[in-house]
Amino acid sequence: MASSILRTEKLCKSFSNIGVQQHVIKNLDLEIQTGDFTVIMGSSGSGKSTLLYALSGMDKPTMGKVFFADTQIQDFSNDELAVFRRGNCGFVFQSVYLLENQTVLDNVLTGALIVQKNTPALVKKAQELLLQVGLHEEDFQKYPNQLSGGEAQRVGIVRAIINDPKILFADEPTGQLNSSSSRDVLDIFTKIHQSGQSIIMVTHDLKTALRGTRVLYLRDGGIEGEYKMCAYGEDDLKTRRAGLQKFLDEMGW
Amino acid sequence: MVTDMKILRLSLFNLKKNKREALAIVFLTAVTTLMLSVVAVNSIKTGNAFYDSFKASGSFDRIILFEEGTYHDDFYDILKDEYGIGEIMEDRYLVSASTDVIEPDGNTLSYNLLFVTEKTERRIEDFVKAEQLPEDEIANLEHPIWMPENFSIVKKYRPGDVFTVVQNGKKYPFTVAGFYNSGLASSDQLFFKCIIPDSDFALFSMLFHTSFSNTWTGLAFDGGEDFPYRAYMDRCMEVSGENLRSDYNDFNIRSEHNIEVQFLNIFLYLIAFLGMVTMASALFMIRHKISNDIEDQMQQIGVLEALGYRSGEISAAYLFEYVISGGAGALLGGILSLLMTPLMDYGIKMLLGREVSGKAQPLLVILVMIPVMLLVILFALQKAKTVKKYPPVVALRRGIRTHHFGKNLFPLTSAKGNINIRLAWKGLFHDIRSAAGIGICVILSGTALLFSVVTFMFFKDGTKGLESMQSADVDTVLVSLLPGVDPYVAREEIEAMPEVRKALVTYNYEYQMIKGSDTTGMAIVYDDFKDAENIRPYVGRCPEHDNEIMLGLRRAKNENLNVGDSIILTNDGMEKDYIITGLVGSMMNGGSILYLTSDGYRRIDPTSRSYVISAYLADGVSDEAFEEAMNARFGGTAKDLSTRSGAGGSLEDQIHATAEEKIAALMSQYGVTNVDYAIRIGDRMISGNSRNFIIREIRSWRGNIKAQMEPMANLTKRFTLLAMVLIALIVAVILMIIASSNVRRQRRSLGIMKSMGYSSKDLMQQTAMKFMPVIVVSMILASVCCVYINKFFWSALFGTIARTDLLTILVTDLLMTLFCYFVTYIGAGKIKKISVTELMTE
Repeated sequence: MASSILRTEKLCKSFSNIGVQQHVIKNLDLEIQTGDFTVIMGSSGSGKSTLLYALSGMDKPTMGKVFFADTQIQDFSNDELAVFRRGNCGFVFQSVYLLENQTVLDNVLTGALIVQKNTPALVKKAQELLLQVGLHEEDFQKYPNQLSGGEAQRVGIVRAIINDPKILFADEPTGQLNSSSSRDVLDIFTKIHQSGQSIIMVTHDLKTALRGTRVLYLRDGGIEGEYKMCAYGEDDLKTRRAGLQKFLDEMGW
Repeated sequence: MVTDMKILRLSLFNLKKNKREALAIVFLTAVTTLMLSVVAVNSIKTGNAFYDSFKASGSFDRIILFEEGTYHDDFYDILKDEYGIGEIMEDRYLVSASTDVIEPDGNTLSYNLLFVTEKTERRIEDFVKAEQLPEDEIANLEHPIWMPENFSIVKKYRPGDVFTVVQNGKKYPFTVAGFYNSGLASSDQLFFKCIIPDSDFALFSMLFHTSFSNTWTGLAFDGGEDFPYRAYMDRCMEVSGENLRSDYNDFNIRSEHNIEVQFLNIFLYLIAFLGMVTMASALFMIRHKISNDIEDQMQQIGVLEALGYRSGEISAAYLFEYVISGGAGALLGGILSLLMTPLMDYGIKMLLGREVSGKAQPLLVILVMIPVMLLVILFALQKAKTVKKYPPVVALRRGIRTHHFGKNLFPLTSAKGNINIRLAWKGLFHDIRSAAGIGICVILSGTALLFSVVTFMFFKDGTKGLESMQSADVDTVLVSLLPGVDPYVAREEIEAMPEVRKALVTYNYEYQMIKGSDTTGMAIVYDDFKDAENIRPYVGRCPEHDNEIMLGLRRAKNENLNVGDSIILTNDGMEKDYIITGLVGSMMNGGSILYLTSDGYRRIDPTSRSYVISAYLADGVSDEAFEEAMNARFGGTAKDLSTRSGAGGSLEDQIHATAEEKIAALMSQYGVTNVDYAIRIGDRMISGNSRNFIIREIRSWRGNIKAQMEPMANLTKRFTLLAMVLIALIVAVILMIIASSNVRRQRRSLGIMKSMGYSSKDLMQQTAMKFMPVIVVSMILASVCCVYINKFFWSALFGTIARTDLLTILVTDLLMTLFCYFVTYIGAGKIKKISVTELMTE
């Protein structure tokens, strides 16, 4: 039986805007199991990204608790959260956010060397992963502005998984890619998930959501509904699509 | 018009957005203008203050003193007939060099004093009185003394204070009647002319009969600054047949001016240097800030260009920003410098020892503000013009930032150790221009800081450092022997005293004529220079044979002499060749010093008998304690005994005392070498002799150096301390601003790094470490610059060689590097405010 890797209790997140409090996440209880590929969906402003940041320790909740395995992280200082993130979380962003002044390989190693010290082993691992996601050796010394969007996102994924994080967080990773690049990137996510990686992904794209095993639908800061699927590839895609579509329709998506 | 307003608005927006950076530029420009204004105004004011004060004194511009006995009336006639001098005042003067004086606070110092009577004073200048006691009180004073204003201004004497002159152990207390403006002889570095009553003058005339205290005849006249003094002296010697080699003293307006303004000028040079450092820093900040702003606002520039703004108009927006901040700084600095006029006048007054009429010089300040402003505008314009490199398409794509194809320096594939340091150094090469700018700023400010620290440390113990620069063993007590006394026997006896650790035979520092030279040289003589402790040749070696000589560096430079050359000393028609074996840096006698062995000295002065024992006191023994011990052992000096009176006791004691007094007078004043006496009273015979008399006088040099240099040493200490604080502040401002603007510029990258798990501390460390290689290298270069500047400073100003304490440099380098790290780390504190979520939602 899969164990719980992430859990929240009455999670709240509010923002203050010129004296007006805006409650984005409201008393949210959630549990993520090891090996889950959780997809968070919802309309714009429903709090998808805010929830992702709160779960990943990128941001602190206003109230409530976040348990990462057995560790409560909501009261960590910013620096403690940084140290926590480096060992436990990987991030893939919509805008990729590669370091512009660093080569592909150095971008990956920048994330790795803060956690591990064995440089030769890390270099080897980074190169292998980059090759696995479809990059070529000649790409390793390229700078981000010499890469296509899809290539850049693949580098972003390798950078996110180089430290074998307990959870991989992805915020609309295909949001800026064309359909061909999107498919390639999603295939990588599927492959990573199949290798046992827990993933939490925010998306508003149906095709992307199909890759998950569990879809949470957010509305007004709370979970409106939940839909579970088997692992991608284990069922008929048409049926899978129809099922998810039906769920989303019910949710008013 | 609308366009202009929009441009102005962009300037104001930038100023408002980066308030701290704008304030830093205002601060740096203000400090630059302040310092350069202070230098410009005061360098003019200093000269004027001296000449105004001199003019107000009504003094003749030259007084030449001839030792009594060598003076001939012909000297007067030569001036009148051959040089066409109309008004010449011939008077008597008493010169007392290195005179022990008990100050009103009880401290004993040593001054060079020149005594005159009021009658003489009124003949040679106007006797312009300043602060004084009421006339009726002065009339009741038994021993009034009028002193140059320097004593009230610098030494804070007050009318009514007691000023006690000590001559050979006997105290002569004077009451300060008041102060007056003395045109000549009004400086620590030369002599102080003091006016005493005729009766005291007469008494001193009888007492002063040593090589350091004696009576002179002076000719005061207006010969102009270019009076051919040397030619006149040659003519005097020719006419009189006298050897005047060390028997004259020349007081003149040029020397007085040069000596009095010497330290003021040094301070002004230092302030000017600090001003330059600040200016360079301000210009670097401007370049750095415009680069950052352009990079930051690249897309906004693209939008403006797309809307039809010309690049020149956008450049003007950046330029206006610096016209505003630079202008505000220059104006602030100018106003501050005007407000500081009283303070600066006080500084001049203290260093000059003369009253200064303080007038603000707004025109001069404006003349400084204009070039400062122009430089700011020029630099800002040059950098702002780079906007035109970015047409709309390039600008909208964030310009060069999207076109980085450079070499991958410090690849992480070979990373070892701390990843933060690796990433920091990697970042350095992506920001090489900032690094170069910081390098220049740190080299300049580091040099100024190191020089300030080295100078501060030099003056830390008052005048102790200066004593080491004399290249003479001035930390000794000089015991002059009476004629006929065997110096080597006396040396052994003195060395055997527990108060003394070593004693050497030397000679009075007589002046020697050098053939073909305008100036004499003061001779320092030892049997063997290996025994001396503070004479270290800069090049070559000390003389070892009788035909060898070592010269002061400044003299050698002035006369283009070097080791291996030979010079000729002349004395009484005799000429002797000497080979130069070494050169030595020395502050003494303006660096015009000759070093000779005893045998070498006797070659040119075979009859010299002015033996002196140089006593090196044991640790913890004061000059006074030594003098007391000498008196106890040798029965006092001949000078002391010759003026003793009122001995009590039995008739026999009184006879002995009176006899000794007479003997001492014969020996000290007339050169008698041996005396025996016998007095029969009834059937009693009372007899004695002069065998106990071996000491002519005892003098300490240390007190003289202290009196001359201590005020300057203290002022320098305070000034350098202030300079250190100011430089540290400038460095802190620059580094903090650069660190914070780096954070602003790299906000995005730093946010990404944070998302990867780099903590704020990691990133602050990276930012601080980024410039460390540049700072370390710059401090090393600054250290080298400091060593050379220090060497140049002492060599150019005092003709001596400064040995820079490398430990001081090393410790300062280390502290400065740590300070820079700390400041940059703090300056990068904005990293804490970078939110990863904010970055991802932008």
